[in-house]
Amino acid sequence: MAVASADVFLVLFFAATMAAAQLPNADRPVPILTGTAGTFSFVTAGQQELNAQINPVLLLPLGDRWLVEGRGEFQGAFQRPPDGGPYGGPVSKNLDYVQADYIANPYVTVTIGRFLTPFGIFNERLYPIWIRSLQQDPLILPLSAESSDGLMLRGGFPANSKVNFTYAAYVSAVSTSHNNLQSDRNVGGRVSFFLPGPRVEIGASWQKLLQDARANAFGFHFAWLSTQLPLNVHSEYARSNQGSGYWIDGAYRLSQLHFWQKAMRRTEIAGRAEQFFSGSISPNGALALGLSPANAREGEFGLNYYLHDGLKVVGSYGRQFSSAGNMNLWTAGIAYRFLIPLGRVGTQ
Amino acid sequence: MKTRISILICGLALGSIVYAKSAHAEGPSGKKEASTSTVTQSYDAGAMRAQGEQRFRANCGRCHAAPQKFPPRMMATVLRHMRVRATITDDDMRLVLFYMSQ
Repeated sequence: MAVASADVFLVLFFAATMAAAQLPNADRPVPILTGTAGTFSFVTAGQQELNAQINPVLLLPLGDRWLVEGRGEFQGAFQRPPDGGPYGGPVSKNLDYVQADYIANPYVTVTIGRFLTPFGIFNERLYPIWIRSLQQDPLILPLSAESSDGLMLRGGFPANSKVNFTYAAYVSAVSTSHNNLQSDRNVGGRVSFFLPGPRVEIGASWQKLLQDARANAFGFHFAWLSTQLPLNVHSEYARSNQGSGYWIDGAYRLSQLHFWQKAMRRTEIAGRAEQFFSGSISPNGALALGLSPANAREGEFGLNYYLHDGLKVVGSYGRQFSSAGNMNLWTAGIAYRFLIPLGRVGTQ
Repeated sequence: MKTRISILICGLALGSIVYAKSAHAEGPSGKKEASTSTVTQSYDAGAMRAQGEQRFRANCGRCHAAPQKFPPRMMATVLRHMRVRATITDDDMRLVLFYMSQ
């Protein structure tokens, strides 16, 4: 079953190289292999995990309006056994998305396939390790499906000179045949307003499960990029029958400091505060979904150093307070974003 | 309920495709061409670069650190991807592409 993601990725890769060979126009977009790679040491409640991952993304533009894209996730999580001995653990493969996008017009893009569920902003936009300012996932991330299999309509356009409106609406079918392609039967959507002047985005998401408990989930998100400071703030709130909670994080580049400017320009401090409230789900059920088994509060502080725009060294410390037990969370590692054209690109 | 949702989704999909066809019929590139033409007429290269940089910082900087510039064919692919992923508007995409490929 796990081979399916590698197979799909290989098919896309060969299609991309063949498409690149056939592109005659010097201005046409070229297929690209991009993605992230990283290695981290997570120490959670004294238990160390060595994590190595590579997440290739294949972008295959076709004509003026099509884009076929996919992302695989290959991850090894290694721990030392309690009784000693060498590190060991599972290597997992997952297909996060493989989708065909058709840009029908300036207002509508039709997406079909397996896609990242547009619920909030973290799952779709902040998840890659080179983008996120802190490597730990927010506590509320598992409250909505990470991937869905089906059809989606989405787009963004100016509502007036000061506001952009964006939307996404989708329907997903249940899929249980492959471990890598599992999805629930659900519908949902997201709307948001972006104010380019103050660089503020606010939005709301909704998801309705059309199976089992037929539960609703909803959430709100907020993003702000300061015009005065090198400061970036994101926040989400989500609620479902499995729980509810929020997180808010900020990342500040030290580029305004007047000493050690070469180093300070590359240094970023980040912090996150979050809280999770358990819903109508058993502790074991919550753990199986990746949720905290009990109410929890968490604070985290991190330091990132950008060696260049696609390569950063990260470190963070967090403390979780929970009725299931308090714990420290340490993270150290390196995240890299690569970008390789699969065809001739000419010169800059 | 599910039938109504299915009909709604199919209707929206068909509507968008029909709209795209009609827009395409207006010219070789339809709305896109009109939009490009409007943008090109409205700004000279310097102003377009400034607008592109402004929109690049506002749209891209909301999620990640500013990447370096890449060759135009690569930028065209990356921006098509980001148009879908981050629901960047048509005009923003064109101006950012102009700025990033200069």
